[in-house]
Amino acid sequence: MAENVSVIGRTTRVRGRVTGTADLEVQGFVEGDITVGGGVTVEAQGMVGSGIQARRVVVRGAVKGDLVGVESVSVEEGARVVGDVRAPRVMIAPGAMVRGFVESEGGAADGQARTARAQVAGRPSAASSRNAVTATPATKAAPPTPTVTVPAGPQARVTAAKHLAGMASSSSNHANAHSGASRRPPPPVVPALKRAKGQMAKRRER
Amino acid sequence: MASTVIGAGITVEGEIATDEDVIVGGVVKGKLSAKEGVTIEHGASVEADVASASLVVAGSLIGNVSASERVDLQAGARLVGNVKAARVTIADGAQFKGNVDMDI
Repeated sequence: MAENVSVIGRTTRVRGRVTGTADLEVQGFVEGDITVGGGVTVEAQGMVGSGIQARRVVVRGAVKGDLVGVESVSVEEGARVVGDVRAPRVMIAPGAMVRGFVESEGGAADGQARTARAQVAGRPSAASSRNAVTATPATKAAPPTPTVTVPAGPQARVTAAKHLAGMASSSSNHANAHSGASRRPPPPVVPALKRAKGQMAKRRER
Repeated sequence: MASTVIGAGITVEGEIATDEDVIVGGVVKGKLSAKEGVTIEHGASVEADVASASLVVAGSLIGNVSASERVDLQAGARLVGNVKAARVTIADGAQFKGNVDMDI
């Protein structure tokens, strides 16, 4: 098995596209689209700055881009994902952070899943609901069950809108940063706006 | 142990930069720079400029090579490009077209 897996090592940076039919493991940094016929695993230290398309996608590190799984996408504990997630089966574990539109199809077979996806894409509500998701303030996506499967309809969405400034931060502190983030409310999106609001209130008092 | 492996069936188009060893069994197009050794396996195809400490070629490489230590072309290898390294070996059965500069 190991000899068949391609690895982007921990100190390796790839700037460009990665394509192929085999499996891929990312421990380092890939700045470019990954399109692979096998499975892609982004390890805890790994970072991908662009979209991933593969049969199975497993994320333990950071991804800034869309995740498209032909079979499944699994976002595991400690992972950070900013982007849309689409697959017949989508798993988001507690301790994972996702910001984006999530769409799953309830574990249908491959061919059926593809037609279902095409129908969904044709629906006009898809675009508007997507905007709604980005506008929604932080919704928690960490129920007490060990693994959250999202088999609900095409409109299933999970927003764990936390500020993902930590996206680029080193992986060593992301676990801590994450556990803190799950307890505290997210910081104001525009601090300047909040300040301005306070001043307006003062003015009103006068 | 090699830390970065571009296995058979994988294509990388772009730039690869690393501090570790790299083993290429698939296809690399663009640029490849490593601080340690680079191995281009039999069946692999690399169209890239390669900079590394050492380089072993058993597959196909088109591009200029600069190695701080050595370059070894094994039997069955094919290299088109200029080679700059302190030590260069070309095995019987290797195919090579390009300049060699061992004066570094």
